[in-house]
Amino acid sequence: MKNKEIPKGLRDFLPEDVKARRKMEEKALKLFRSYGYEEVSTPTFEYLEVIEARTGRNSWEELYLFIDREGRILSLRPEMTVAIARGAATHLREAVFPQRLCYIANVFRHVQPQKAQYREFWQMGIELLGASGARADAEVINIAVETLRTMGLDNFKISLNQIAIFNSLLDDSGLEEEEKRLVRRLVENKDLVELGRVLNNAKIEDDLKEIIAKLPVLHGGIEVLDRLGPVEQNRRAAQAVAELGKVYEDLKAYGVNEHIVIDMGVLRGLDYYTGIVFEGYSSELGYGLLGGGRYDNLLQQYGFPCPATGFAIGMDRLALVLKEPDEEPVRLLVGGTNWELMVEKARELREQGYIVETDVEQCTREELAAKAATKGNCRVVFIE
Amino acid sequence: MENELTIALCKGNLLKPTLVLLAAAGLPNDGVTEDSRNLVFTYAEDGIRYLICRPTDVPTYVEQGAADLGIVGKDVIVEQQKDVFELVDLGFGACRFVVAVPETLKDVRLKDLNYRRVATKFPRVAEAFFRSQGMQVEVIKLHGNIELAPIIGVADLIVDLVSTGKTLRENNLVELTTIMASTTRLISNPVSFRTKFDRIEPLVQVMQQIAKGGIDRAD
Repeated sequence: MKNKEIPKGLRDFLPEDVKARRKMEEKALKLFRSYGYEEVSTPTFEYLEVIEARTGRNSWEELYLFIDREGRILSLRPEMTVAIARGAATHLREAVFPQRLCYIANVFRHVQPQKAQYREFWQMGIELLGASGARADAEVINIAVETLRTMGLDNFKISLNQIAIFNSLLDDSGLEEEEKRLVRRLVENKDLVELGRVLNNAKIEDDLKEIIAKLPVLHGGIEVLDRLGPVEQNRRAAQAVAELGKVYEDLKAYGVNEHIVIDMGVLRGLDYYTGIVFEGYSSELGYGLLGGGRYDNLLQQYGFPCPATGFAIGMDRLALVLKEPDEEPVRLLVGGTNWELMVEKARELREQGYIVETDVEQCTREELAAKAATKGNCRVVFIE
Repeated sequence: MENELTIALCKGNLLKPTLVLLAAAGLPNDGVTEDSRNLVFTYAEDGIRYLICRPTDVPTYVEQGAADLGIVGKDVIVEQQKDVFELVDLGFGACRFVVAVPETLKDVRLKDLNYRRVATKFPRVAEAFFRSQGMQVEVIKLHGNIELAPIIGVADLIVDLVSTGKTLRENNLVELTTIMASTTRLISNPVSFRTKFDRIEPLVQVMQQIAKGGIDRAD
């Protein structure tokens, strides 16, 4: 017998699973299109040099790499943002901006397989290219909220941050380079105990220590910006705080702020983010559902300076929190003794919009009834 | 339950001081014991549920969101490397990861142990430590009685967790160096930390205060 294993962390999708996924795709695409986003598709694998623009936590270890016959290193795509940035720098140089693009794609990461974490998984998302400023961020964040709402979720939060607050404070902290790297790693690993210890021993102002230690757990409504403490001395950090406030204000017009919290612990772990970043969580799942943010310097790496912002939703995780699927449509099973009449009847019924299976095994009425009983909402039409 | 907090607690040595901590933090602990067949304790009126589990399972429960919070040793956290928030150093359950060798080797220098065999229950910690020293060793994962490994010739040295060092002495082993110190920590699922922030944040504050005063004095 042939081996019938499949590689670790991969899955077969049976009809029920695919149906659930298609339903998510249809709803999301409809929403994205209604905001003017157009669907694009990019290659499943790319040259490693292209993917390399995606640096940050574990980004290298997660890649599936292989070599083509010309000896060049290829990588399965670990996400879509980098591919779209690369594609835009090639095809959209002459375009009128902003450009609104969306995608649905399978992506590949060599991670430890576990609940809600697979090595091939599905993402859908949008990228708003060529627009800087708070309103562009607000639009993208609003669409993230709308997407989750469209799926029927109500119990979710979007955590919002501006990473330049943390980055500027750390850059200008006066810490040694080695200490900065350590602080960044501890914040990314969420090890607040060790972070507190490292900051305690650092030779910087107490005010600054306090702010950096507090940032990863600063969480709440817009009023948390007032609890931030004295960041005014740091011009870039103060600007970032103001920008965060502006995006929050601009979101109010959409009426989605009940889902928005300010959360300085959201850093996303990828180096290409430059400003506003956000993540979405449902209280029913211990893992994040979506993530995104502004990446104004990424396209420049492909020779085309252009501001951009976007987000991606993990569809496999979303599927875990969605309620029961809608009711099954009626299926008809057409059987009988006269093949021409059966085919004719089936065609008629399909034209009326039914899902129709035609018996190809010359079953009796009783046999068909038994088969129909094994399917959801299925009835027999038997032609004598 | 929307706003119920589930906390994973360790069986064994840590359970007693953990229960003292919970009481000091104003959380219920009546009847929580590892001796019953019951491994889940629910206090509906407080909106609290405890899971009593093996220490090594606590980070897994928390990472997967089966528990919102966990109380577990740094030694377990560092070996498991799960994606969890490490919120408070609770101070109790102090112990250390050490490299230990048979007494006959007590004057050996660490770097002379390159390419030797190391028995341990903590392969990640051991591997990472020797690599950080620029060394390569053969790590042999055992599940218990690590201190026997050098005696019966399974390994040349060990990496183990010690609190007093008594077990090492009884088996004629001596500490060569300490890798890191460990105490008990409060950990949180990253999503719970955000979706249940209003319940978790005050608990963090209280536990920080208690830890500063020293948990031993609380009972």
